[in-house]
Amino acid sequence: MSDVLLLLIVVIGTVILFLTMRYLYARFSIAILHPVLTSTVIIVLTLLLFNVSYERFMIGGKWIELFLGPSVVALAYPLYNQRTFVMKYRNAIVLGISSGLLTAMGSILLFAKIFQLEEDIFHSIIPKSITTPVAIQLSSSLEGIPSLTAVFVMIAGFSGVILGPLVMKYARIHSPLSKGLALGSASHALGVAKSTEYGELSLSMASISMTLSAIAGSAVGPLFILLS
Amino acid sequence: MKKYSVRRLTTILVQVIGLFMFSYIGDWISLLLKLPIPGSIVGLLLLFICLYFKIVPEKYIKDGAGFILVILPLFFIPATVGIIQFPNLLSGQGAILIGIVMVSTFMTLIVSGYSSQIVEKKMMERVKQTNE
Repeated sequence: MSDVLLLLIVVIGTVILFLTMRYLYARFSIAILHPVLTSTVIIVLTLLLFNVSYERFMIGGKWIELFLGPSVVALAYPLYNQRTFVMKYRNAIVLGISSGLLTAMGSILLFAKIFQLEEDIFHSIIPKSITTPVAIQLSSSLEGIPSLTAVFVMIAGFSGVILGPLVMKYARIHSPLSKGLALGSASHALGVAKSTEYGELSLSMASISMTLSAIAGSAVGPLFILLS
Repeated sequence: MKKYSVRRLTTILVQVIGLFMFSYIGDWISLLLKLPIPGSIVGLLLLFICLYFKIVPEKYIKDGAGFILVILPLFFIPATVGIIQFPNLLSGQGAILIGIVMVSTFMTLIVSGYSSQIVEKKMMERVKQTNE
């Protein structure tokens, strides 16, 4: 198959698949039907079925991935809209996010030592609490494996959304503000989606926490690599 | 669902190109100053500063940013498909890694939630005292 044809099939196919899966998710709203998860599984199975390598898929894939940069930049807009909110709750936000980030990355550093993880795996797990577009880019600047990072980010997201409410209940975290902050800093965009269940304040906090954790995490991540 | 007229689509397209420019300028600054931070994060901070000081009016970015954030998950599907290169992630070591990520996530939830809850309580008490 010619590269141009492959490129078109991959790009158009992925976009249509994603939109379809998103529609499905919007209708049934079950965590496991998350469009990224379902789209990924379908594409992986298709590639295996037609014996297409990842390199060949990426001929088209890299054109989709190109949009990661501007997407990260776009996060500035919701953050700007919430600036007065950030100032109002600045103490809780600063403490919640920085303690969350240190726990997220510090615990990975600790586990990496205990289980003697290989260096590239360790570098790929470090960004796992950060929103995927930033985590992927952070992973490549830390010389990790972006694809592995993307998977770890999803695991962090799903475990936080599915078991997180139970964990927080046990830890006696009741306030909507703290639940939002915690979900945003541990489970990024998936956590933000979950936080809508705890109300408007929780949702704002989760979204602020996701964005600020991503910014701070990009700066702090390299330090944890140095510590290892 | 908002209606997408030709005019609106053009606005979105132009603004998305603007976001690309911020991203590339960020890459360039990051490379030039040898920053360990990804260029797109530098671009994010740059755009925030521009919005804050009204160098870029909000309406010049609103539609493009809104559009791109709505379909954001699409853009990282190519990376997640990359899992196909690591079939051994389904092995024993894979299970350990998944366990590590889950435990770390729960620890993060607890520490972040608990510490912010303490601050929030203090804040509420202060508000109460000033009201009394």
